[in-house]
Formats: sequence, structure tokens, C-alpha cells
Amino acid sequence: MKRSVWLLLILALVIVYPLLFTTPFLQRLGALVLLYAIAASAWNIVGGYAGQVSVGHVVFFGCGAYASMAFFTHFGWPPIAAVPVGMAASVGIAALIGVPTLRLSGHYFSMATIAVAELARLIVTNVEALGAAVGLSGPVMPRTVFDLSFTSALPYYYLFLAVLLVVLGLTYWMENSRIGFYLRAIKDNERAARSLGVQAGRYKLYAYMISAGLTSVAGTLYATMYGFIDPESGLGILTSVKILIMAALGGAGLLFGPLVGAAILVPLEEISNNLLGGKGAGLTFVVYGAIIMIIARFYPSGLLKLLLDRMAAAKPAPSDKQVRDVA
Amino acid sequence: MFKTIGLMKGTALAGAALVLGLGLTGAFAQNTVKIGAVYPLSGNAASAGASAKAAIEVAVDVINNAHPELGDLTLAKDAGLPNLNGAKVEVVFADNQGTPAAGQNQTLRLITEEKVHAVLGSYQSGITLTASAIAEKYGIPFLSPESVAANLTERGFKWFFRTTPIASDIAKIYMEFLKEMKANGTKVDQIAIVNENTEYGTSIAKVIREAAQANGLNIGLEIPYSANTTDVQSQVLQLKDKNPDCIIFVSYTSDAILYMKTMQALGYKPPILIGDNSGFSDAAFLKSVGSIAQGAINRSAWSAGKPGSVTDRLNEMYKKKTGYDLDDSAGRAMQGFFTMVDAINRAGSTDPNKILTALKATDLKPNQLMMGYRGVKFDEKGNNILASALLIQIQGSDYVAVWPKDSATAPLQMPYKGW
Repeated sequence: MKRSVWLLLILALVIVYPLLFTTPFLQRLGALVLLYAIAASAWNIVGGYAGQVSVGHVVFFGCGAYASMAFFTHFGWPPIAAVPVGMAASVGIAALIGVPTLRLSGHYFSMATIAVAELARLIVTNVEALGAAVGLSGPVMPRTVFDLSFTSALPYYYLFLAVLLVVLGLTYWMENSRIGFYLRAIKDNERAARSLGVQAGRYKLYAYMISAGLTSVAGTLYATMYGFIDPESGLGILTSVKILIMAALGGAGLLFGPLVGAAILVPLEEISNNLLGGKGAGLTFVVYGAIIMIIARFYPSGLLKLLLDRMAAAKPAPSDKQVRDVA
Repeated sequence: MFKTIGLMKGTALAGAALVLGLGLTGAFAQNTVKIGAVYPLSGNAASAGASAKAAIEVAVDVINNAHPELGDLTLAKDAGLPNLNGAKVEVVFADNQGTPAAGQNQTLRLITEEKVHAVLGSYQSGITLTASAIAEKYGIPFLSPESVAANLTERGFKWFFRTTPIASDIAKIYMEFLKEMKANGTKVDQIAIVNENTEYGTSIAKVIREAAQANGLNIGLEIPYSANTTDVQSQVLQLKDKNPDCIIFVSYTSDAILYMKTMQALGYKPPILIGDNSGFSDAAFLKSVGSIAQGAINRSAWSAGKPGSVTDRLNEMYKKKTGYDLDDSAGRAMQGFFTMVDAINRAGSTDPNKILTALKATDLKPNQLMMGYRGVKFDEKGNNILASALLIQIQGSDYVAVWPKDSATAPLQMPYKGW
């Protein structure tokens, strides 16, 4: 009961945020937080719940981004119409690379995913139809409202919010269904899970495919908003790392962990760039990196986990009297 | 009661201060023209961004203070902008971090938060693309001093302009030069292009090939290679075997250095050696292999010129600030900035529509420029139709301007000497 009240309150705050902070920059900042929260929440399914730390998720992000820009460039589709294409391609690629790589454990899986992402970046850099090293751009001027090319960040904000709610809803459902239990069992101890009859390989693959499909949606939304994608921004390893750090910072394996991470890191990055970037001293990333280090050192399981633990500790344990009364 | 009065007083005072403040900023705004500059101040192009920033800061000094010694250079003579009652120029720099997303976010911030009257940027073509898209939506003039990608001006934008020479201008100057050489009796029967295989090298090579065909010159050999390579012996042997009359390199820094070293090791010299800007313009190139690349020809729109000249004085101002000479790409940034401020001055206003009209009417003559363009005049797409480059040659420890003759500071030395 109490929990749902809190959730509704937070949701209400998120909904009114862009109406309270009306400058274009703050509205866009809000939209960016939601966009990265989508990507990080999608990563969370395989990285957080199943414990398979993919560092190559940008492949799926790029899939969605490139699908939208390529279908616009070659067939004139509105970028957002390519969502199913990007998702299908991502799920396909996830199945293709998941089958061999998910057999690897721990760091080896992470390394394999990095290799796949770098490979994809190099291939795309040389494919003329995908814009090669130059990249692809979206509609210059909106042709119809379906091109989703707005000056204001408000429409993006609410679109991203809707998508994020779907992703979180899906994650919540998964968390409480059989697959969620299986994934947690696999994360805790894969061998033990297998011995109890969990088909670990199959469920890890499912998680990987769901996660890939949702990450691709984030990629499409990104490309729709910025109207441009090139190998570095669409398939560069930095995007993978950014997604991963957001989920880890907020709390991997927790429903709202990635959202908390995005709500901290995105403004931190943008605001530190606003304040320090123009000086040209490269201080932005120093500050950004230092904060990540502090969190990794002192709160490795994420800020949300820390907060939840604090709240649990603050709540007094049921006393003997209460227990007796109930009895 | 007293408390309430105090509060009311306070509010009234604050209100008055606010009104006063607004009035003041209103009046103040008349005296400052704010221009946003989005450059890579971090990331892998940070050094180019830092140079551009320094060059723009020199230009701000030139504009805001009286510099009668700089002759006809735009806005140098008087302090501030004469048509705006001597208004000063203020530049707000933003870091594009080398990503198209940051470039766009920062441009949005400059326009909506900093309320800049015009935007300049953003070095990398991909970032210029996303940054200018935001300026277009807000109806703020955007000028790119250095991005060369062809598609930038094919978007039908109303608010986008660029002053730099583009690939076709670059190919043209090589062809004119080679044709003149041929007319003078130098053998130019076979040209080789050696290009690194990403966007820069591939696109320049393509345009040079097309221009050569159109001019009846023969490209006998094309060697694309990866700029990250650590060995170019086979490529140099291939060149030695074919022995072309002229080689055009389109290379980045480390690979250009490697080619010069390998050519010396294998004892191979082509009669004419051209290095297209980038790697050959890098200060590191001159320092490490300048002595074994004597006579190498490069294109540039910048030349410090004779001592005491306007360009030489600008170079000294820049050198005082940074410790090194002004290079071509920072020079292009400076020229782009002068062009934008000149348009704002002619507009006599910071109203975007008036600036746009003034930009379209831009017609700067060579003597008003600090770069070696034939002028600045925009076509309907926003390209500078008078953009051009000159050829410079390594003679001793520096590049000197050698072609065309009217802008040369030293005679052309032929053939390529090497070491």
C-alpha cells in the first residue's frame, strides 16, 4: 500500500516535471534521462537480472538507430516506423551471437560482446548503404508529424516516458514470473540452478533477446530525436559503457535502478559539460569519472540498493509484543 | 505587522531591482553581440578544437579593440562593431565532446539559455550536421568555417552557411597546378593517388579522380591503405615499380610520416609529391620528417606571408597566445568568425532575419580576409563560391607559399628533393 503511494507520487512528479521546468534545455535534459533510462532498463534485464554483463549492447542500440535512418534514407519511411525492423534485427542478432557466447561465463562473455560490437562498428564503417564512415541522417525538415521532428523536447519527453513505462512494466512482469525466478537462480549460482532443472542456456538466451529488442527501441528513439547516426555514436563502445554504468550506478537487478542511475548521470554529464566544457580544459570527464569512481568504491551495488537498505534498517523490526498480539 | 511591511518593502525592492536589472540587461544587450562556438574541446579532436578556440579569441581581440595596423581586415580598424554603436563581441564556447549528440545539446543550450545571436562550428562534419539542424529549427544563423562534407549544404537549409573550400575546390587547385606544370613542359603523364581508406581519404580521392578525368589527366594508380598501418613498404615498392610522375597523398599524421621514412629507406623520390593538408600540415610532420620531405607540396588557404604583413601580424598574435604558428584549420575558423561578425555588423542589428539577409549579401574581397580565399560570397546553398586554396611547399624547416604566383612568397622548387 505504502509502496504504491510512493510510486504514484514519483510518477506524478515525472509527469509534471517538464511543465515545472519549462526551459528547452531542462526539458531536453528530462527527455535524455528517460531515453537513457530506457536503454539502461533494457540492459538491466540481461545484465542485472540474469547477471550476464554484456558490454556490447550498443550493437542493438545501433541496430535500432541504423534501421530508422536506413529505412528513411532508402525508402522514405518515417524514422519511428522502423521500430519493428530494428527490434526484429536485434532479436535475430541476439539469438545468433547469444547461442555461442552465452555459454561463456563471467568476463569471457563480456569480452565476447565487446568483440561483436567492435566488429559491427568496423563492418558498418565500410558499408556504403549504411552511410559508411560518414553516417546517415534523418528527415531534415519534418514532412509529417510522424517524422517526430520537433523543436520542443516536450513530445519526446512524453513519448520516451510512455516507452519507459512499457519497458518497466515488462520488467516488473518478468521479475514476478517464472522466467524472473529462473534468471535470479542462474545469476546466484548457475550450476545449482541447472541441477534443479532450470534450462539455464535457454532462459539466458530469452533474457538476452528481450533485452536486445528493447535496447533497439532506445536506439531508434535516439536517432529520431537527433536525426543522425554514425558508426562512432551508434556503435561505439562508449555508448555500451554508458548504458552499463547507469544501470550499475543506480542498482543493477532492481526495477528502478537504471532510472535512478540515468537520473543522476545524464544531468551530471550535461551540466558538468555546460559549466566546464567551454573552458576547454577537458574537466568534464574528470569530474564525471571521479564521481563514478567514488560510487564504485563506496556503493558498488548501486545507489538505489543503498537507499532501500537504509530504509529497511530504519524501519523497526516487529517487536515481540506485536508478534504475540497477532498470535 | 512590521514584519509584513518589511516583507512588502523587500518585495517591492526586489521587484524594482528586477525591473532595473531587466532594463539594464536590455540596454546592455545592445552593446554586446553574443556568438556561440561549438568545438571539440575534449575527445580525439581536442587539439584542433583548442586551436580553433585560440584563433577565435584572437579574432575577438581584433574586433573589440582598435587595430589600425591590420589594414583592410574586416572590423580591425575600430573598436567594436561600428554599425552597432561600437558594440563588443562576446563568444560563448561549448564543448561538443566529439559526439553528434553533445554537439546538438550544446547548440540548443547556446541558443535557448545563452541567447546567442549566431552559432559557429563544429569542426567534425557529422557534428556540424546535428548542431546546425537545431539552429535551423530555431531560426538562428549557423556558419561552419571548416566542415567539408558535401551533404551539409544539400539539405535545403535556410540558416546554414560555410566559408571553407570543399573537396571539389581542393581537386580544382591540384588540377590547375598540374596543368600549368604540364604546359611548362614538366612530364605529368601518370598520377598516383595514395589515400587512407576512411571517409576523408576516400572522398577526396574520388573527387580528385573525377577532376583529373574532366581535365584530361591520367590517374594511373590508386593505392588505398589503412591509416593505422605500421608498414607501408609494399605500397612504396608498388609506387617505385610504376614510377608515376606525380603522387598525391591523402593521409593522416602518423601514416604520412611513415611514408616519408619508408621512401627514404627505399631510396624512392617521385618528381612531384603532393600531400593533401591533414597529416602533411600537422606540426608533428614538419618536426619529424620535414628534413627528408624537402619540396613536398601541400594545399592550404593560410600563409603567414611576408614579415610585417597583416597575416604575419595575426600569426604573431596567435603565437603569443598559444606558442605555435597558426595552421590552416584554425585559420579557417578565424575567417569563419570574421565573416559572421561582419554580417552582423552590416545587419546593424542582432535580429536573426536581418543577419540572414546580411549573410546572403556577403561579398568580402581578398584584401579584407586573412585566409587566401578569393573572397567570401555565398551561393543559394550556403557554399562560399570564392573559397580557394593555395599551394605551399616545404623549403627548409617551414612551409612557404609557392603557387599561384601572385600569392607566392618564394619560388617553386622542382622537382621533389626529398632529403
